[in-house]
Parts: sequence; structure tokens; C-alpha cells
Amino acid sequence: MTQDSALTVNKISKHYQDGSRQIEVIRDLSFNVAAGKSLSVTGPSGSGKSTLLNALAGLVELDDGDITLEIEDTIFSYRAAKERARTAFRRQHIGYVYQFFNLVPTLTVLENVRLPARLNRRPDLEAFASTLLGDFGLSDRMHDFPEKLSGGEQQRVAVARAVLLRPPLLLADEPTGNLDAENSAQIADILFSSCRDQNIMLVLATHSNDIAAMADTRLHLDARSSARLTPE
Amino acid sequence: MISLALLRFLRRTPWSTSMALVGMALGVASIVSVHLVSASISSRLDGLVPSSLADFSYYLHRENLHTNDYFELRRMWRSGALPTLERLSPVVDETAQVADLSVRVLGIDLLSQTPSGEIQTSTGQFAFNGVWVDETLKGALSLPINGIIEAPEGTLLSDISVAHDLLNWPDHQLSYIGLVIGHAFAQSLEVAENLLPGFGAGLPVAKPNLAIGPGWQLVNTAEQYPARAFGKSILFNIAALGMLALLVAWLLIYQVAVSWLRRLWPVFDRLHGLGVEWQSLRNYFLGSIGVIASIAAGLGLIVGWWLATKLLQMSVPGQVVALDLSAWVVAKAFGSALAVCLVGGAWAFKRSQQGKPQSLAPLLTTLVLLFCGLICVLEAKTGLAGGFFTIAVLSLAAGQTIGPLLILLKRWSSNIGGSYLMRVGVREALWHPAELSVALAGLSLSIATAIGVGLMVDSFRLDFSQMLDHRLKYDVIAEGAPASLEALIKAPRSVHQANRIQHYRTADIRVNGVLVELNVTQMDAFESSRYAHDKRLGNREVLLSEQAARSLDVLPQATLRIRGETMTVAGTFSAFGDLKPRLIVDDQSVIAAAMGADFKTTSVAFKSAAPQALAGSLKRSSSMLEIRLQSDIRRIALEVFDQTFAITTVLITIALLVAAISVYIAVTTLRLNRQAGRQLLNTLGVHRVEQHLMNLSMGIGLGAVAMIVALPLGMMFGWILCNVINPRAFGWTIELQMSAGALLWPCAWGMLAAILAGMLQVGGKEEGAFGGH
Repeated sequence: MTQDSALTVNKISKHYQDGSRQIEVIRDLSFNVAAGKSLSVTGPSGSGKSTLLNALAGLVELDDGDITLEIEDTIFSYRAAKERARTAFRRQHIGYVYQFFNLVPTLTVLENVRLPARLNRRPDLEAFASTLLGDFGLSDRMHDFPEKLSGGEQQRVAVARAVLLRPPLLLADEPTGNLDAENSAQIADILFSSCRDQNIMLVLATHSNDIAAMADTRLHLDARSSARLTPE
Repeated sequence: MISLALLRFLRRTPWSTSMALVGMALGVASIVSVHLVSASISSRLDGLVPSSLADFSYYLHRENLHTNDYFELRRMWRSGALPTLERLSPVVDETAQVADLSVRVLGIDLLSQTPSGEIQTSTGQFAFNGVWVDETLKGALSLPINGIIEAPEGTLLSDISVAHDLLNWPDHQLSYIGLVIGHAFAQSLEVAENLLPGFGAGLPVAKPNLAIGPGWQLVNTAEQYPARAFGKSILFNIAALGMLALLVAWLLIYQVAVSWLRRLWPVFDRLHGLGVEWQSLRNYFLGSIGVIASIAAGLGLIVGWWLATKLLQMSVPGQVVALDLSAWVVAKAFGSALAVCLVGGAWAFKRSQQGKPQSLAPLLTTLVLLFCGLICVLEAKTGLAGGFFTIAVLSLAAGQTIGPLLILLKRWSSNIGGSYLMRVGVREALWHPAELSVALAGLSLSIATAIGVGLMVDSFRLDFSQMLDHRLKYDVIAEGAPASLEALIKAPRSVHQANRIQHYRTADIRVNGVLVELNVTQMDAFESSRYAHDKRLGNREVLLSEQAARSLDVLPQATLRIRGETMTVAGTFSAFGDLKPRLIVDDQSVIAAAMGADFKTTSVAFKSAAPQALAGSLKRSSSMLEIRLQSDIRRIALEVFDQTFAITTVLITIALLVAAISVYIAVTTLRLNRQAGRQLLNTLGVHRVEQHLMNLSMGIGLGAVAMIVALPLGMMFGWILCNVINPRAFGWTIELQMSAGALLWPCAWGMLAAILAGMLQVGGKEEGAFGGH
């Protein structure tokens, strides 16, 4: 699935309305990410990092421009798709890791990781969920509920769930923002290595320069809705 | 400033504010409608007792009561031997034919007690040889009329000597001695009766111990006026049921307050940091809830008044209903709304401030109360109030089990199988005892009450229907004036085309001081079978209604002295709907022979191969009589039965509605707190239909938890209503039947309420504290 995929962001804009005031969060932003490559998004708070990631996930409607994801000669255009189609696409082709509230509290660790397989009716991946948890050092926590896990363990579960389907695109919104230095390094390592090994495109928003530096390309957003793209 | 901010907060949370308002208004409407209906019925019931006798709390009776007995008693009272007695007065009370009318003649001592009716004589002073009559006898008698009194139809009041003359009694004979016995709580009881019409009927009746020697029977007002006591017992039952919606509204207000405090707490924390005392913050918060309470009370008054009008029109069709919106009912509406809101709000504030109390005190209190409840069930002397106290205690205990039950189910919930989204939905329902237990307690309580009342009504209906099967063995019944019925009996049998004619005669007598109805008829095997007795009734045998057996405290095969004759109790029979205790003897019995002319014919029954033709012929030949077919009587009886319970259905529906609102508020709060989780599922690609299915699973989970508590609780309520409340209120027992309808319908409605509460998304996007998201 992850062969020959590419993400193209073409002159996208997004604003929010606050009463009579219009707040422009993203303006004319364009970039590309190739299969197996990673892009880090940095910038101060309010610069639009999370909005960009939500737009890449199809969670927000664009005002202008388009995002396309090419998967094995099929191009999915976000702008052309309705909300329901974007949801179905996200379910199948996009993994997402948040800073916190990553896990469904009422599902066990194993159930959380298996959730995308169940949603996509892929019973063949259920055994892979256990394997992933073993690889991430969580084989003894599979039947616990998330509330019993530490922050670092919860993030490892979230990464395992995000890569289970081997999606072409994985989005991570400050995945280490809530962790100590040791756990941050561990999560970043797992994320980048998993994506590289499985040829997954990774778009990661972060405040950490060290983690941003691990990406192939770096996109810096500033508070004036402008962007600067630099290869690392 | 803080008050203004809180009022703005209420405006910015329109859904929860309006839901709290609607729930509270429904709770108030429930008690207001019950109060108005009860007050209306209560005033009619009070009219059953002539105003001149209304003050008496007890009556003293003995065989052949002589004026000397009264004077002896009066001497003892004057000497201070009867300290609890405030007043005593001789009374003559008997029915007689005066000017061809059946008149209840009441004789009292005019020197000590003047009737309250307006004097209508030309001199403006009453004459000792004159009488007071009720409106219906005005102009019907040739006696001098002193005035008109408030009394049941056909009542005549006079001095004792005039009564003796009218009854042809010797001048020393009395019927009973009326007593006014004071007690410490008389004034409190009067206030309680004004606030809750019928309240007195629920209290246990302990007869005072008067040291007056042997041979006297002390009869309380309830035994003297069984119809009034019967009605007041119904009012007490309805009042207790009316409180249910208010109780559930209290839980709703608590739930709303918890929901608001979740959002307000960070702001309160900051205000406290700025130097505002917690007590002041609590008072501001309660003040804002008080605003809702006041508006809800006003709305509840309007809705309650409308509801009461409809309910009264339903129970007495065709009658003009004029309800009195007294100061008592207004005070009750505002008082209860404010009390419920302030107590609920203060409780929620305390819980938010201190977290969940770890004390064992509530558990121990509940256990002690449960023990007291058990005593109330076993001890009949605790009366109706004892039965309802047990129901209240069981409700409290059941409410307290919801939290631990949810914790238990949370531990077990990892075993839930099926689709992952369904697991999430069901577990959401089980995982939040702090947020959901109070709302679920309200829902469980409403469902349990619906089950309990449903089981009682279905069991009652079955027993009632069986009683009708036994009783309605004749095809045509004629009722009306005794003279017209006598004429009908004497007519040639061929005219009636009947196979069997049975006539019934009746007299009101006192047995052991208790006023009972004595029926006389030919009690052969066929007639005896109508009362579940399998053989002819002997000359010295008597059948007793359940109420009579209870009032006279006798069992089958016991002996009973009736008018000087010793009779054996051959058996008891069900008599649902009877207002008085009833005794039946054979027309050849010693009592029938002794009493002879004292009886009056009340009805005649016919068996016929062609009942329609017979009824038609009787209607033509006896136009003064009411002729009814057996099938009509059955249909009307069951219709009246169903009408009787219409008010209970309405009250339970209101409570269920308030409970559903409460669960909805709780679920909305939960949803607000779990928005991140929902967003995560959305990111994972769970679409709206699947989210609705999750909400459905959650609603089913909530309903199932409510059901786990409600089913056993409802069965216990049903048992208590059939075996404790009914015997104590009305003197009859009902065999509890576990009818599927009574169990399933409330569960279905409760489940529907929980599912709707779980699935409704409106209001889930309300703003946070003071407008912040």
C-alpha cells in the first residue's frame, strides 16, 4: 500500500472567523512529500501547525487550494471529496498521533491498537497488532486499560496504532510535547524508524529543534501565515 | 458582578438551563396537580361528615347506651380521671322515615353545642323544637327549620329530645358519645394536612387508653366514616406518588448543578484566589439556581393547574371543575422548588469542593433505615406511612447501590465482546459512576415505581375481574327506591320471564361499635358461591368482607355478637370498592328474623335465558328503577377501575420524563468532558453513523444498568403495595401477579428514555464557563 505514494499540498489557505474578525491561519501554502520521506513542521504557538495537520487529515475544509494524496496511481483530492468520503479515506490511509488523549480510555491497549484493523475489516492485521506491541516493549501491558499506562507507554501504543495499517501518510501533532527527554527521544526514534522501514510519509509538528532535525525536510510557519521550506 | 456573570453563564448554557427549568417545572406541576386534585376531593370527603360532628376525633359506644352512662362519664371527666379528654357530648345518630323520606336524624346537646349554619327563623334565634337540615331537605319537611347546615344529603340535625321524638326512642337512649381528644401535634398535623391533603390518613392510628371501665367500644373517625377514610387513603397514596416526580427533579437539579460546576470550578478557583470566600461563591451559585427555581415554580403552577383540571375532568366526566389556587398551593410550589434547587445545588457544591466523601456514615444510616423499614412492613400499626416509609428507604438504598454497581461493572467490562465501537459505547455507560450514578438512580426509581404500580394494578385488575366473575352470576340487576323494588318483587314471575329472582335488603348497624352494612338475602348454595362460599349459609352463620374481618379483628370460625345474637363467621370474601365493612346473613337467620323491618330493599337480581328481552320489559314496566345488564355492569366496572388509575399513569409518566431529562443532562456533561476522545475517534475515521451507533450502545448500557436496579426494586414495590399498603389503606389483600406487561412496559419506556438521552446531541456544544470554550 505504501509504494509509490506522494502528498502534494497546493496553495492551500484556511481562515477562522471570530465574530467580525477574520483570522488567517494558513495562506497559499504549498509543498510535496514523497513516499518514505518525513517533513517536520515547526513554528510558534498559533502559527497554524495543528490546522495544517488537521487539513492534511481531512478534518477541516480548505478555503482555497487543494491537497492530493497519490496512492498507487490513484489520486485522492481533498477539495473534491465530501466530509464522509474524507472520513472513509482517513480511516484507511492516514495514521494520526496527538500530543495527548491518543487512546480510547474504554478500550484495552490491544483493542486500541487493533481498532483501525477492526474499522477497516482487516482481521489479517490483528496478529500484527500484538507483534507491534511486542516490538515497542508493551507485550505485558496488552490487556490493561490506558489509564494504567505511563505517558511514554501511551504514546508508544498510539504510534503502534498509527502504523498498524501501514498507511501511506502518518501525521503526528507534537507527539513528544508531553514527555520527558528520555521518552521524547524514544518516541521520536520509534516514529521515524517505523515510517522509514515501512515507507510511510511522516508529517510531524513539533516545538523541538532536535526532533525537527530528524526529518528529511523542515517547514517553518510563522505567525504571519508565511512558510519557509528547508531541507535538513 | 459575580451574580451577573453567573446569570450570563445560564444564558450561555441554554440547553442545560432550559432542561433544568423544564424538569423542575414538571416536578412542581406534579405536586401542584396532585394537591389541587386532592384538595378538591378532600373537601368533598369532608362534606360526608356533618359539620356539627367534625370536631369529634373518637366515638364511644356500648350496647343500649343510656344517658346515665354519659353522665357517669362526664362526672369522671370533671373529676380529672380522663385528662386527655378535651370535650365530650352525647349524640343520637340513626336513620328514620320522616315525611316518607329516608332521613339521617342527628341529635346533639344544643346547650353545649350550637350548629354553625345560619339561623333562618324570623326572630333570628333558633327554636329548641326546630331542626337544621341540609340543602336537599329544605322545604321537604313540615318541621320548623332553624337553618341550613353543611352535611350529606338527607341529614337532619336537632336537639336530642327532638331526635328522640322523631325516632320514637325512649328519652334515655343514645347512639354514642362524641369525644374530642387532644394531642401535642394537632396544630402541626393541621398544617401538614393543608400542605398535603390526605396526610392524616397515612399516620398510624393508636387508640388512646381511657380508663373508663368494661363494655365500652372506642371507635375512631375513620371507622365511623369509612367512605371518608377510604377516600383520604387514596389521597395519601396519590400524594406519595406525586412526590416521586419532585424527588427525581431533585436528582435532576443535582445533576445539572454538577454539570455547571464542572465548567465553573476553574473560574471559582481563580475568584477564590482573588480573595472571594468559598461560602460567598456557593451563595452566588445557589442564588442563580434559585432564579431557575422561582421561574420553574411559576411555570409548574400553571402546568399543574391545567393538569389537575384535565385529571378531574377525566375522573369525574361531565362535572364542572373549579379549582382553588389557594395560598397553600402557591407556597407549596415555590417552597418545594426552592428547597429542591437549593438543597440539590448545595449538595453538588459540597461534593465538588470536597470530592466523594469516604465516610461510612451514609451506608450505616441506610442500613439502620432499612431495618426500620423492615419493622414498618411487619408491624401493621405503623399504618400507611410505615409502608411508604419502607418504599422511600428502599429507594434510598437502591440509589446508593448504583455507584458501587457501576464500579463493579467497570471491572467486569473488559469481558464485553462484540464490535469495538459497541464496546466503547457500553463501557462509556459503565465507566463514570461519579457523573452518571445520580441520574441513573432517578431513572431506576421512576422505572421501579412504574413496575411496582403496574404489578399492583395488574394484580388488582385480575382479582377484581375474578371478583366480578363470581359476583355477576345474574343477568339483570334492578336498583332504585325500596318501594319500587318491593313492587317489582311482588309482580308475577311470568312478566319478568326470569328463572330466578333474588332480592337484597340492607341495614346499617353497629357491631362491636363499628358501623357496618348488614346484607340479608337468600343464601342458598348458588348465592353463597358468589362470595366464594361453597354451601348454604346456616341460621347462625355470617359472611364477612375482608374489611369487616379486619375492622372487627375476627377470623373464620370465630364467633361474633350481632344485635345480641351469637353468630359464627363462616368465611370472608373480597369486596373491592366497598366503602363500608359488610356482613351477609341468610334471610332465614336469627338476625334477619330479629331485625325484620329495619332492612330496606336495595336491589333485585334476575337470572334469565333472554336477558335483553327481560331488561327491556323491566325498563318499560318499572321506569323509576335503574335496570342494568350484567355485561354492562362488568364493562362499566372495568372502565371505572381503569379511570381510577389514570392519575397514577400520568404521575409516573411525568417522573419518567424528568428522569430522562436528568440522564440526558448527565450524558451531555459526560460528552463535554470526553470531547477529546470523540475527536480521536473522528480522526481514526469513525463516521457519524458509527458514532450514533456508539451512542445507541451507550444508551442501551445506561438503560441496562437502570434495569438491573429497577427490576428487583419494582418487584419489591409491587409486593409492598399489594401486601402492605392495600390492606392498611383499604382493608383488602391483592395476590401479587408477576404480569409480563407490568414488568416489560416500564423497562421498554425506561430503555427508550435512556437511549434518547444517550443519542440526543443537542446541547452538547454549549459554551464553557463565562463564555469560554
